[in-house]
Amino acid sequence: MAPILSLDNVTKTFEAGSRVAAVCGISLEIHPGERIAIMGPSGSGKSTLLNLICGLDEPTSGSIYFDGKDLGKLDDDKRTRLRREKIGMVFQTFNLLPTLNGIENVALPLRLNGVASKIASEKAAAMLKRVGLDERVHHRPDEMSGGERQRVAIARALIFDPLLLLADEPTGNLDSHTGNDVLNLLDDLHAEFNTTIILVTHSDHAAEHCDRHVSLLDGEIVSDEPFSPSPVKTL
Amino acid sequence: MTGALALITVRQWKLHKLRLILTTLGIALGVAIFFAIQTTNTTLVDSLHTTIEKLAGKATLQVTSGDSGFSEDYLKTVRSTAGVSLSEPVTETMAVTKLAGSQKLLVLGLDTSSDLQIYSEMFEEGGVVVKNPLAFTSHADSIAVSRKFADRFGLKDGDKMSVQVQDGIKELTVRGFFRSVGAGEVYDGNVGVMDIAAAQSMFGRGKRIDRIDITNSLDITVDELQQRLAAQLPEGIRVSRPDLRGQSLESSVSSINSGLTIMSFLAFIICAFLIFNSFSISLNQRWKEIGILRAIGVTRFGIQGMFLLEAAVLGVIGSAIGVAVGFALARAAIGIVLNVSQTLYGLATSPKALEFNYVFAAEALIVGLIASTLAAWGPARAAGRLDPASALHNIETRGRGNVASMPRIVLGAVFVIGGLLLTAFTRAGVGMNIQLVYVLLIQIGMILTLPKIIEYGGKLLRPLMNLLFGAEGLIAVETMARSPHRTASTVGALMVGLAFVFSCAAFIVSQKAALNHSLDKSLNCDIQVASSQQLQSSTYHFSQATTEKVAALPGVDVFDPIRVGSIDYRGDIISVLAHDMNAYFTISPDLLDTGNPESARAITSRGEGVLVSNNFALRWNLKLGDPVELDTPAGSFQLPVVGMLDYYRSEKGTIFLDSSLYRKYWNDTDSDYIFINLKPGIDKADFKQKVFDVLAGDQQAFVYTHEEFKAWVSSLIDQFFALMYLQMVVAIFVAALGLANTMIISVDERRRELGIFRAIGGLRMQVVKMVLLEAVAISLIGLAAGALTGIFNAYYLVNTAAKVVAGFTVRLVFPYSMIAWALPLVIVVAVGAALWPAIKAARLKVVDAIGYE
Repeated sequence: MAPILSLDNVTKTFEAGSRVAAVCGISLEIHPGERIAIMGPSGSGKSTLLNLICGLDEPTSGSIYFDGKDLGKLDDDKRTRLRREKIGMVFQTFNLLPTLNGIENVALPLRLNGVASKIASEKAAAMLKRVGLDERVHHRPDEMSGGERQRVAIARALIFDPLLLLADEPTGNLDSHTGNDVLNLLDDLHAEFNTTIILVTHSDHAAEHCDRHVSLLDGEIVSDEPFSPSPVKTL
Repeated sequence: MTGALALITVRQWKLHKLRLILTTLGIALGVAIFFAIQTTNTTLVDSLHTTIEKLAGKATLQVTSGDSGFSEDYLKTVRSTAGVSLSEPVTETMAVTKLAGSQKLLVLGLDTSSDLQIYSEMFEEGGVVVKNPLAFTSHADSIAVSRKFADRFGLKDGDKMSVQVQDGIKELTVRGFFRSVGAGEVYDGNVGVMDIAAAQSMFGRGKRIDRIDITNSLDITVDELQQRLAAQLPEGIRVSRPDLRGQSLESSVSSINSGLTIMSFLAFIICAFLIFNSFSISLNQRWKEIGILRAIGVTRFGIQGMFLLEAAVLGVIGSAIGVAVGFALARAAIGIVLNVSQTLYGLATSPKALEFNYVFAAEALIVGLIASTLAAWGPARAAGRLDPASALHNIETRGRGNVASMPRIVLGAVFVIGGLLLTAFTRAGVGMNIQLVYVLLIQIGMILTLPKIIEYGGKLLRPLMNLLFGAEGLIAVETMARSPHRTASTVGALMVGLAFVFSCAAFIVSQKAALNHSLDKSLNCDIQVASSQQLQSSTYHFSQATTEKVAALPGVDVFDPIRVGSIDYRGDIISVLAHDMNAYFTISPDLLDTGNPESARAITSRGEGVLVSNNFALRWNLKLGDPVELDTPAGSFQLPVVGMLDYYRSEKGTIFLDSSLYRKYWNDTDSDYIFINLKPGIDKADFKQKVFDVLAGDQQAFVYTHEEFKAWVSSLIDQFFALMYLQMVVAIFVAALGLANTMIISVDERRRELGIFRAIGGLRMQVVKMVLLEAVAISLIGLAAGALTGIFNAYYLVNTAAKVVAGFTVRLVFPYSMIAWALPLVIVVAVGAALWPAIKAARLKVVDAIGYE
């Protein structure tokens, strides 16, 4: 099966007084339906790698292919459209638009794609229901709990049935109970949609929900191993 | 701690130069207008005084009588009064020469056979050159001119100079020169002297003179002599000190002064709001910084003090710049104001050199300092009260704040309604300072209710923008509505700026409408012939012979020659219009607002009653039948008021009487206007040409149809409001700057939000669209709020500036179409102002923006 995402010797350096390599010659292939945890300590290059994968940032060298397309050869608009339609993103700090309510936040990518308001809202409502939020959908983010906000963020990320879901520390701002709920939701969604998930985390507990662990240190992959969930693990 | 906080503020200035510039500009602009108007008002009044005092020479008293002058026979009475040392009869004529630029020349008619000691400054030994004194006195065309005037036009002894006089163009011969000092330096030296008899003859003054300049002998005080002369002369002839005469004329321009003061006050409110806007934005920009400062131990008072200190420093800097700019502005404004005072009031004044007034400068600095500190007080207080935990928290937890609380809205509504009620029921003469409070209440009230207006505006715009512009429109409206701290100050700046523009326009339109209505009722003739291009001229009048020539033209049906005079009435200078009252009522049958037209016509035609303008009746609390006593050069007379009408010539009032009375009491047969109704079938254009033909080479005349006359009066109003038009442009400019500033801050503040938008698939163009639409949404609500406030302010102006200052009843005519015209303009300005911030937003680096803290 062809990989949905492949990174070929990708390097990203920053100029901050001296040249700093945040990601250093990374090559990686990810296949459809995989759940990958990218782990590592702070400063290991996890978030930079995620930004490169979703096309928010461009590599200094190397190539990234997503769904058969070389991201480096796409202009900003094409990368943005690709991100909108085929990549869902979930952030640690939720990153919802504070001015929009839950349903409007979820419907936004559809609206940006020209889908009519009514249809977009219906789809958003259905997706919110799917992530377990059928109430409080007309509340704004500042009127929601952390767990509710993250559910809205997940619903927004999945609204286009993306090929790839990127989750950057999705439980980092949540208490353990709510964090577990969110991880369980991701498991359920994976089972339902078979979406490829890349989970950036430094939580072993969160990583246990994935079947492949990639560890980074100083911008390089130090290990890339399959992971079998422990039979005693409770979700 | 103060030093450390000051350092933080200075660093903020370096980071946010635009905000710094805008704040300083706001203060500078307000102070500049304040200082310029103070200086202009003072210079105008000083110019009046200086002109009168310089023309008076060494005279300690002057005998005058309105602008028609009085019989020279009274010179004998003056000269025979004990205690009079010197007495010189004078005629004053402002003549238009045919020299380059049609220069005006003040021609003084003096008794050249006397030694003219009163004006010895001009004529002292060595200063005056008359090569052939005999030729000067023996030729009626002789004139001596000031050296400055002669040098300016290269005039030598014996040179000819053409001037427009009452009966056409006459030639004068330069036969002498005098020093450009004293009376010789007024009007920048454009002064000539003729023998009084020659001047009377040349300028059609008959045996009338304009004044007698007097010095008292050493054995009597000026006051004693004044009383003695007053007892000898009729009531209509005034004896006054030159400086007090200036005060009397000063009251004639009080409406200009009042109008300018109100305008400067409104302009100051706009600028104060700009400062408020800027500091509110600063508070938004420094939200997190304040949280950190509070977290590390800076007290609420310290934070508040930091903001107020910044405001005070900027207040001083801005005020200093404002004083400099204001002085330059006054230089331009004084020319406009002097021109208006001459055109509208016939007050020719010598433009006094603009002097830098240190007292005004100090006042302006203090006012600027107080205004900037007060304007910053609200944001400073809010900064001090900021909850450090919230301030440090991320963007999504930042709430709306309590800017739309019910007590605040109620208080705002009470202020607005209170201001309007006070305006509606104010009594005349309550005082300008108190009346300014009314408009201040309205502004503050509207500002307090602004968050609610934004809330409702947002609710109205939300579905519309969603429908028209999709998600970007929706986010734009929500961003605006959900950030009342940021939005309110900008909408407020727009509101105040646009309200100023709308209210000024409404005031002008209302004035024009009232005037047009009045002209339709009171001057509704087919053809109007005027002797001058000024509303009132003391130089150019139609002689009786000229009037008769026009009257004799074929096609004339009704003919009404009118003399316009100014007289002293209980210390006010009022207008007197002498009509052929029978003809006047035929031409304008709907003339009266109060009174029976038929009986008024009969009584006034017999010279047994007068009509008065409504503002005169209001000022002196007159009713029909009440007597009005007028002092004239031939004594006083008293007649009942038999009719009242709206008439806007004079702020102090106008009296209409029959020409027979004017001829009898003022001994004056000239006229200034001729109203003509034509026989049926007579073409107006043909008749106009006939008037020009019959007066060709004889007399200058300006012939208008009714509509042309209304257009001319309208252009005079535009001249009067020239400064207001200038301020309207400034207000729009300031509002646009405020909007640009807000949008830049909005983008800055929403970096993370915009980053999220981009991260989830928002295209760069969609970001641009969103930012521009937010600016459009802000501008639309600003426009709506501005229109509403503009209506309130216009109501205030119409009821205060017009009614209380001048007693004019002016019905509010709001130019609603202007709002429709303003709509695309405001949108264009908003888009223009937001374009750079929008491009900046689109160029945001998404990764940096999302990680932005």
